[in-house]
Amino acid sequence: MEMYIDPHIHLVSRTTDDYEAMRKAGIVATIEPAFWLGQPRTEVGSFKDYFSTLVGWERFRASQFGIVHYCTMGLNSKEANNVTLAEQVMELLPLYAGKEGVVAIGEIGYDDQTEAEDHFYRLQLELAKDVNLPVLIHTPHRDKKKGTTRSMDVAEEHQMDPGWVVVDHNNEETVKEVLDRGFWAAFTIYPHTKMGSERMVEIVKQYGPERIIVNSAADWGISDPLAVPKTANLMRKMGIPEEHVRLTTYQNALTVFGLSGQMDENDWLKAPAIDQTKKLGGNSVLRGGQVPRVEGPADRVEN
Amino acid sequence: MTPQIEMKCFLRKILENRVEEKSRSWLDQKVNQTENTSSNSTFFLAFSQASRFFNKEKLGLSKQEKEQADQLVPGFDPDHWNLLQTARTYLLLHFPQEKERWFAAINQLFETGDMYEQQALYAALPLMPFPEDLLPRAIDGCRTNMTLIFDAIALNNPFPANYFPEANWNQLVLKSIFMQRPLYRIQKLDERRNPALASIASDFAHERWAAGREVMPELWRLVAPFINETIMADLKKVLESSDQLEVEAGLLALFGCDSEEAKQLLQGHNEEVMAIEYGEITWEKIGRDFQDKKG
Repeated sequence: MEMYIDPHIHLVSRTTDDYEAMRKAGIVATIEPAFWLGQPRTEVGSFKDYFSTLVGWERFRASQFGIVHYCTMGLNSKEANNVTLAEQVMELLPLYAGKEGVVAIGEIGYDDQTEAEDHFYRLQLELAKDVNLPVLIHTPHRDKKKGTTRSMDVAEEHQMDPGWVVVDHNNEETVKEVLDRGFWAAFTIYPHTKMGSERMVEIVKQYGPERIIVNSAADWGISDPLAVPKTANLMRKMGIPEEHVRLTTYQNALTVFGLSGQMDENDWLKAPAIDQTKKLGGNSVLRGGQVPRVEGPADRVEN
Repeated sequence: MTPQIEMKCFLRKILENRVEEKSRSWLDQKVNQTENTSSNSTFFLAFSQASRFFNKEKLGLSKQEKEQADQLVPGFDPDHWNLLQTARTYLLLHFPQEKERWFAAINQLFETGDMYEQQALYAALPLMPFPEDLLPRAIDGCRTNMTLIFDAIALNNPFPANYFPEANWNQLVLKSIFMQRPLYRIQKLDERRNPALASIASDFAHERWAAGREVMPELWRLVAPFINETIMADLKKVLESSDQLEVEAGLLALFGCDSEEAKQLLQGHNEEVMAIEYGEITWEKIGRDFQDKKG
């Protein structure tokens, strides 16, 4: 079976049905970037508990479905605008940046492109260099093209190696410059906004697979946790070579986020078989009476 | 040497032959910084980043090492520990133990820890200073649904038996049954059996039966010293089970009971009773077999 990585998905907002479907569709690993929750937080403690969830409960929850869960840590651009709170979050971040399975600082960058956003974006680029992690940049929805260019300008100003930076949420208008400047270009496949699968196929046709990454960014809004495998299948149908499919929906994400030293193919290839009996009962994700699923390792690595 | 220093030496020695020089020198450097700087951030970062230098291979202690651990802190049983948590514990014990500063740091670690960091922290409870003040933290830790963390508190750890009040102890044992954890790995389980727990266990068995589900055989260990009419009826039912482990558990629970009824029930199972007398059927054996069967 094909293996996929969804390198941008907000799993705290997804159900166990999603996890089941993702695993069935071949997703073996996910990266959950720290982001906002749909409404602004008002206390630093909310950030602390959220960050702890990303390295704790959500990781555990994913593992029960045979999916390896990684995350990125950062202060998102929207909430960077609450400066008092943002300063407290910045004090918290070093506590999480060094943790196991934290594969990047992100998603950071610009939303409204305010002064405060710029300030905290720069501070976090420095943090990434301090802890030797790649960076995941969120590009703005509004005034996207300029915002994307500016994100890269500032990253370069801080001497970030473009090979360590993933610029996310690209479209036809931004991709060329991102690739030309040596950054990684990620694409979010959304049912209504951002990119659709068909447009994605065209981009891979035009630019090839190098440094291009597909993700779902599925969250609490209308979004599709199967966007990566669906896009991969569409690519195949449209005659894109298998190796290009593999690079854009699996290998490229592994290569760049693997620079962290925190993400290794063996994490899923050599993982113990899913054994939900280990968690039966209590308030675990299995409820009383459900039949636990036990798979052999072969079910997971078949390729 | 003070017990604290002895413990540090013991952990360092365990790591000595099991990890590479690079990992050891990193740890020694971080310990040095932890002891000698007033800022906590170096310590926090080192505690996290230990995962870059130590893996999660089990220690696999020698008999001598196990005995030494138990001499240092009665009940301390790091045989199930891995290298990473040993390194983290070693580092932790070097943090200055002035009460206020210690708790500010340790609370921060507990509250921001990932799964494996929390595993290390809870398993290290019996080595930490100010155990009475750690009690609420330990009780709160039992509320987790992550098996790895629950096990770190409940299994092979002397802290709960030594410090938990009865109500919290009973919850810990009951939750272990819920999560089908190996009860034989809970320390001082026999010593801390009590009538309330026996009655809770019996109620729980009735709930399982009502739902048409099996009852974990180790549960009957809890009722053994408190056999009354209800529990006697439970055990009769257990002896009728088609599951050999359940029958063994029922017999073992009845074995120490002086009543005529118990003796009569045992008479029908001469072979198993003999195995009990020869120490072949024990609670640990039943617990192990159950875990193996569960897979």
